[in-house]
Amino acid sequence: MAKKEFSFTEAVKEIDKILNAIESGVLDIDKLAGEVKRASELIRQCQKKLRTTEEEISNIFRELI
Amino acid sequence: MNEKLSLTELQLIIRDSLHLALPDFYWVVAEISEIKENYAGHCYLELVEKQAGERNVRARARAIIWNTRYRLLKSLFENVTGESLESGMKILIRVRVDYSEIYGLSLIVSDIDPSYTVGEMAVKRQMILKRLEEEGVITMNKEHEFPLVPQRIAVISSGSAAGWSDFSRHLRENHYGYVFYTALFEAVMQGTETERSIIGAFERIAENIGHFDLVAIIRGGGSQSDLSWFDNYNIAYYVTQFPIPVITGIGHEKDVSVTDIVAFKALRTPTAVADFLINSVAEAETQLTELGSRIADKSRGIIAEHKDITTTFLSKLMPLAKLAVADQKERLSNRIMGILNIGKEYLTRAGFIPENLKNRLNSSSASFILSKRTYLEKNRMDLMNYSVKIIENQKMKLSALDNSLDILNPVNVLKRGYSLTSINGVIIRSVKDAEKNDVLETRLQDGKIKSRVTGKQYLKD
Repeated sequence: MAKKEFSFTEAVKEIDKILNAIESGVLDIDKLAGEVKRASELIRQCQKKLRTTEEEISNIFRELI
Repeated sequence: MNEKLSLTELQLIIRDSLHLALPDFYWVVAEISEIKENYAGHCYLELVEKQAGERNVRARARAIIWNTRYRLLKSLFENVTGESLESGMKILIRVRVDYSEIYGLSLIVSDIDPSYTVGEMAVKRQMILKRLEEEGVITMNKEHEFPLVPQRIAVISSGSAAGWSDFSRHLRENHYGYVFYTALFEAVMQGTETERSIIGAFERIAENIGHFDLVAIIRGGGSQSDLSWFDNYNIAYYVTQFPIPVITGIGHEKDVSVTDIVAFKALRTPTAVADFLINSVAEAETQLTELGSRIADKSRGIIAEHKDITTTFLSKLMPLAKLAVADQKERLSNRIMGILNIGKEYLTRAGFIPENLKNRLNSSSASFILSKRTYLEKNRMDLMNYSVKIIENQKMKLSALDNSLDILNPVNVLKRGYSLTSINGVIIRSVKDAEKNDVLETRLQDGKIKSRVTGKQYLKD
């Protein structure tokens, strides 16, 4: 079973949503910490995706040639 | 009639007749169907004339450009057109008709007019562009959404060309440390095989389309690389129909080909394509970090606001708590004093008290006082703790209050989907307030709605 692929675009959308919630004041103060943590985790994953070679993709690309 | 000619004699007659009949040089328009250069540097051409849309050749002739002439004409032609003489190309040449008893008829080329070919190519190009435009496909590839992080790239190039290695090295050595995945789909990048070969590569990419963010068609740039192979309807059509963006870097200084025009983006060199991809990823990362810092700033602001509120509260509560502690302290001291006085009274009443008893009384009084002092101290600590607890409690209540204040703000309430209903500017709270045919004004977060009452219904218990 392949795990669900992390999507940079989806992550950015979610981060944007968190920012909107914080900026609009809709977010409950008690949930703030959780959302901030989630956003920074997503950012970390995005940055990792830009810089870390994923074996899965490399293998597919090797087979394609 | 019995006179016989040798073949040579016949050929010589033909030759002389031809020379006599066609003594001049002639400018001739023809299409190159084959071209080759032999070991001595002479150029042999097969010339044809075809009518547009027809498969069959209307006329065919052999032509020769002798090596000394060929060297001159070749470089003249390449300088003017930016292309080399290739089959499929239309040319205007100045020829003399020659006839050899061995090889038969050939046209000896003495001059070539490259501007004719330039014009021909431009016309051909314009026709392709016009056709793509009429079919409504010309901008289709440009309409794709560009991937936020173009990391997975299908490359169409010739594997041996410098372009491909420049491209992949440039991507690999980007100073941000970004990862790019490239898969090379080899194709011939010039000559008559170009069209078939590039379309083949597109088809192979299409079979694995889910793995790619975009296609890059790249070719190392010589100073004079012929672009006309990319002025090709079928290649251009494939680009327009391709489901992901196609970027070109086919190395030409001056001109752009039809393929460049229909591509999502056309760049000059493979290195420029690599730079573009690296910058796209860098932009995405900047966007990401900006989002991050906006979240951080905003959150800090919210936390600071709440701290302010609790600090204000604390500064009001603290003096009160201190006052309460002082009050308790005084009351305890008074009680101790009272107890001591009672003790003294007893002593006085007893008049004489044996020394040992007196000592006992004194020491027990002292221990009593000490115990009371400890009690007092404990009590004081308890009170302090209690006060702090109250403050903590209040802090929490305050947050809750702050939230509910926010929620209570009508605008926020309206945002949450509630609405305010009024009749003649007076807010109504009960079904009783409205009568049939009254005009209700309902306020929502972004405006007002007017409606008329057509009926009423009370909630049943």
